[in-house]
Amino acid sequence: MSVIPSEVIIVKAPDIRESAARERREKLSAFLRNWQGVVGLVLVVLFFVSAIFAPWIAPYEPNTMDIPARLSPPVWDHIAGTDQLGRDTFSRLLYGGRVALKIAVIGVSVSLAIGLLLGMIAGLGPRWLDNLLLLLFDAVRAFPTIILALATVALTGPSMEMVLAIVIITSIPQYARVTRTATMSLRNTEFIQAERSLGASTIRILWHHILPNVIGPLLILAAMDVPVVVSVEAGLSFLGLGVLPPTASWGTILNEGYLVIRDAPWMVVAAGIPLILTTLGFTFLGEALRDIFDPRMGRGR
Amino acid sequence: MKKLELSRRGFLASGVAVGALGLAGTYPFGARAQGTELLRLRLDGDNQILDPGYMIGGTEVEAQKQCLPFLAQYKREGDTFGWEPTYYVTKLEQRDPTHIDFELTEGLIWSNGYGPLMASDVKYSYERMKGTDWGGYFDALDHVEVTGDRTGTIVLNKPFAPFFMVTLCHGPGAILCEKATEDAGGKFTTKFPAICGPYTYEQIPGQRTTFALNPEWTGPKPGFDTVTLQVITEVKAAELAYEAGELDCTELGADTMARYAAAMPPNSSLTTAGELQYMWMGMNTEHPKLQDKQVRQAIQHAVDVDSILAGAYSGTTTKSNGIVCPGLIGHREATKSYSYDPAKARELMDASGVTGLTLTLRTLNNQERMLTSQIIQANLAVIGITVEILPLDSGPFWEMGTESAGDTWQDLQLWTMRFAGTPDPYEAAQWFVSSQVGVWNWERWTDPEYDRLYEAGLVESDPEKRNEIYLKMQDIMEETGAYVWINHEPEAYVHGTDIQISSAPSGELDYRRFARI
Repeated sequence: MSVIPSEVIIVKAPDIRESAARERREKLSAFLRNWQGVVGLVLVVLFFVSAIFAPWIAPYEPNTMDIPARLSPPVWDHIAGTDQLGRDTFSRLLYGGRVALKIAVIGVSVSLAIGLLLGMIAGLGPRWLDNLLLLLFDAVRAFPTIILALATVALTGPSMEMVLAIVIITSIPQYARVTRTATMSLRNTEFIQAERSLGASTIRILWHHILPNVIGPLLILAAMDVPVVVSVEAGLSFLGLGVLPPTASWGTILNEGYLVIRDAPWMVVAAGIPLILTTLGFTFLGEALRDIFDPRMGRGR
Repeated sequence: MKKLELSRRGFLASGVAVGALGLAGTYPFGARAQGTELLRLRLDGDNQILDPGYMIGGTEVEAQKQCLPFLAQYKREGDTFGWEPTYYVTKLEQRDPTHIDFELTEGLIWSNGYGPLMASDVKYSYERMKGTDWGGYFDALDHVEVTGDRTGTIVLNKPFAPFFMVTLCHGPGAILCEKATEDAGGKFTTKFPAICGPYTYEQIPGQRTTFALNPEWTGPKPGFDTVTLQVITEVKAAELAYEAGELDCTELGADTMARYAAAMPPNSSLTTAGELQYMWMGMNTEHPKLQDKQVRQAIQHAVDVDSILAGAYSGTTTKSNGIVCPGLIGHREATKSYSYDPAKARELMDASGVTGLTLTLRTLNNQERMLTSQIIQANLAVIGITVEILPLDSGPFWEMGTESAGDTWQDLQLWTMRFAGTPDPYEAAQWFVSSQVGVWNWERWTDPEYDRLYEAGLVESDPEKRNEIYLKMQDIMEETGAYVWINHEPEAYVHGTDIQISSAPSGELDYRRFARI
């Protein structure tokens, strides 16, 4: 016969869901207190909205020529002026944003996915495979992007697909390296060892334990990588190695503006503004996210 | 002994002073102050083949003019060009319609120990040219008779008055050292086997080409001791370099030419050269996508050349109607078998039954050509043809239609092209004869009547009959559907008002005839 204590003190266990919600609220609050983060978010939203809705926002079709109106200065009808073929620069900038968005979204997400996969393989795989992959990552990173682009263009000719391929190839190593390091530090932790001892498969460990722990830093890295990718695309297009005419790209508009800088300086200014704002936006946003999700790195700077 | 003490501030001040002195030493005007004359020009790319038989032309001809002997040279006479004997000859006379006697100047020496310039070098050079890519210039040459060490006779196989202007004055008229060329294997590329001219030649690929005074030269001293040509591929960068005082003379883009015409930079002059250049869009008649003549004719009707002149050239060039430039025998005032007519172009496309056609337009990657290509792209989109523009650097561009340079000629569909001519229509016509297919006739059509007329044009001396011949030849070219004539695109050079420049009618500069005034 058991003895029941006359007085039982009931301690309420902490509610995990409530704790997570509180943590989210705190992070959101911290984000909203970070002015750079808010400005970054606004600029990034502006970038996405203007690019996605360009066909509805643009006052003109981007490739429609009006040669008598060539090199018109900014006026009400053409708020960013016209280029040498009389095309509306503002409309072309909006459509150029679509190219930048496409390259950024596809380039970053594909390189992140591949980098994540290769990084986890390197982190959990045998030593020889890790060494081989590291050698590969370092070899790719040793190639300056522009040199790689020049070599590739010489073989294949310029195209948007080529720009994407170069962006992906040159971005993979940084995601893979971060993933590899995080995976290696996690694989010997007690909870992973416990999972292993309970017979959990590698895939389950990767999916349920390693992936949730590495994805946060990778997303921050991706946000910081977007302006780099956008700049690479603009740079390659500026050099004539990127998208082909008549497709509008910020780099080609910048190049065309540079060619007539004495006659129509507004083209260079107009093409530079979205590049600057997009770069600033993603950089501010990325730094704010990093400060919130990885405060040690932020303070360490 | 007092110990030298150098404080941080003193170190910085000394560093600035040393740096300033160093910079002053490298300042371009420093060279002038020491009594040497330096001419700073721009080169749009490296010279690839200096051999007159296999060159591309352009700046390669410019290099030949500085380092190799020529029997005759252009002489500007107001708005026209004539010819005159060079310093290399003491005699250059046409004895009768088929015999030209020459006597070389005594004491002219080839470099690298190859001895004096001999009449046998003239024989070797000209007879060798007949079998080269530029052999058309020597169609009228039968042989060269050597009558002495320095004397000889050029024997023509038919009377051909333009031989002086077209052949002897232009790049193919360069004389090579027989022994040096044979020692080099009979051909050469980026290095002259031997020189005999006022300048030596040195090229640092991708950086600069330098012409320095030839110590063995006994002829008249050129206007400048050293000529440096910096490789600047972008014409805009060269314009900025000129405005910054880093170049003494440079070519201008069409839009800058229009701006300078309105307001010149201080102490600058504008000189137009290359009056005899002609540009067109070519089509490969053998390509499966363009074999149907109606498709080619549709393209001819669809391209709005007036928009190209306004949009890509700021209205600074004249419209072309053929390969013969204004002022020459055989110049066409208008096209005959097509004009800008999109409705007619659509009809022709409908008649051909071709739909969903996608073509590649290859072009040099410079401002005017890219704009031209984009206008053509928009024009052809109107008749349902999608054009993909492929910009190329000068290296791959200039060999893309040449069979001996690879397989690209098989993929060639559309391209923009510009040739420079000499003051006789025969020179422009020679590139499109049957034997030039795969060499410079990239359109790859042949016509026996065209070839016959070409031969007839060589021997005909009656100007009216020659006019008819060359008009008919251009009619044949146009009727192939392989050409959309675009413009005569002269090159404008800006230079200091204290410099007099010298150029050929085909646009090449002759640095040795530049002078400070």
